[in-house]
Amino acid sequence: MGKRTLVPIGPYHPLLEEPEFFKLYCDGEIVKEVVWETGYNHRSIEKICESKTFEQVFYVVERICGICSTSHPFAYANAVESIPGVDVPIRAKYIRTIIGELERIHSHLLWVGLAGHFLGYNTVFMWAWKYREPVLDMFEIITGNRNSYAMFTIGGVRRDIKEEQYPQLEKLLDEFKPKLDLITGAVMDDPVLHARLKGVGVLTAEDIHDFGAVGPVARASGVDIDVRRDDPYAAYDMVDWKVITAQAGDVFAKAEVRLLELYESISIIRQCIEGLKKEKGGEIKAKVKEIPPGIGIGRAEAPRGEVFHFVKSDGSNSPVRHKVRAPSFTCIPTFRRSCVGGTIADAAISLAAVDPCYCCTERMAQVYNYSTGKRIMNAAELIKLSQKRTEEFKTKFLKG
Amino acid sequence: MDIDKFIDEIKKKFPNEIKQTEVVHTKRLMIYISKEALLKVTEYIFKDLGLRYIIVTAMDSKKGYEIIYHFSDDSTGWIINLNVVLPREKPEIESLTPVVYGTEWIEREIFDLLGITFLNHPNPKRFLFAEDWPEGKYPFRREQEKK
Repeated sequence: MGKRTLVPIGPYHPLLEEPEFFKLYCDGEIVKEVVWETGYNHRSIEKICESKTFEQVFYVVERICGICSTSHPFAYANAVESIPGVDVPIRAKYIRTIIGELERIHSHLLWVGLAGHFLGYNTVFMWAWKYREPVLDMFEIITGNRNSYAMFTIGGVRRDIKEEQYPQLEKLLDEFKPKLDLITGAVMDDPVLHARLKGVGVLTAEDIHDFGAVGPVARASGVDIDVRRDDPYAAYDMVDWKVITAQAGDVFAKAEVRLLELYESISIIRQCIEGLKKEKGGEIKAKVKEIPPGIGIGRAEAPRGEVFHFVKSDGSNSPVRHKVRAPSFTCIPTFRRSCVGGTIADAAISLAAVDPCYCCTERMAQVYNYSTGKRIMNAAELIKLSQKRTEEFKTKFLKG
Repeated sequence: MDIDKFIDEIKKKFPNEIKQTEVVHTKRLMIYISKEALLKVTEYIFKDLGLRYIIVTAMDSKKGYEIIYHFSDDSTGWIINLNVVLPREKPEIESLTPVVYGTEWIEREIFDLLGITFLNHPNPKRFLFAEDWPEGKYPFRREQEKK
């Protein structure tokens, strides 16, 4: 085994939200091994939930993720409602589905923008984030918040979508569709992106099964799974839509799956609005007296994949055990197969392709000559060199 | 997958290892097994039947330390749960990581939070806690609450 250089990515990134630390052990340009460290920001949410009432847990789990803040309440609602067997009113099911799909739209746009940014394709970044704004504004109109909507409660939702809001929602979708065509075209028809992303960070269906990866990561490798169809909840079995898959398993396929899913989301929301029109004046919340002893397991398809909640009740008003599995927990470890063997330059986008929250590159401490194994420069010498160059530029360009 | 057929088959295949099966509610099956049988049963449902691994839940319950391994059958939406109970004294169980690659992190997390030792784990290091976290302090154990 030759000499290996450690390229640290992390532990904090000023742009994204989660602190984590990737250590890439490289031989020249090639990544040989990746080690991951976490625990920088452990908030102990599972333990906190045990001291809250079933109702209050919604607002705790909503704060697990800042981007897909409805996915956790969604899965928790499915889990806790399955214990007494609550029959959620149809109108509430449609509202839940609309919130879930609007969230998928803004979350996928966020990823597409960031992926473009990582690749230096800032046009996509600007467009995606610009056209994401009206979706967040829509959330403010419907729920009162751009994020952390506090819409869910046991047995239904807390706010109705009013009749005068249907046209606003429809207008949003009408205006968004051509923008989505624009972004999709910018990604799918760009020869540079094809060259940059195809064959990079490939995951096979076998890798997906080994790690238990879910969501767009699995679907891009030809694994046809989606909790919305396989274990239907809310209104997903009442509307017509299809699961998007791709076969290649590379970063391009993941982008393709996410972009095409947005068209399905638009269609689902439209059908839900029609459903709401039919269910005029319907209940939005079922009465639930108490949660009997037992266990409840709930799932929901978040933008990043399946969210899993396990709730155990002993008949009191708070859970005795609440286990949460976010999709990134099984998706992130796939870097062992997607990054190892690739170059450092590909590692950044391979890690970002699973849509985790991810950190930036720190400075390398030493430079080696790989043919001789001899050290050329250390950090202090690198800084000295950089200062020397700056001085040179100053005298050259700022003279007089 | 027809669930009655699945229950019959798994009972026939592991007559001594499976203590009890129970349909908890719609599409959720709990299988109570002995801790020695864990690897064999998992190999059957993960490798032979090809069910998807979801996650492992561990808790301190009245019976002892209870570990639940969740697997999903995506063709029907059933969740198959393997339930193992460990004694409070010397809680040890065979690691699943050699069979199910994805369990590495969650087993390290359970060791951090509940102090359950996973035998033959390829990388038995702390996962969530800092290196200076005191030895023998496990926040999810009920005895911690009484103190």
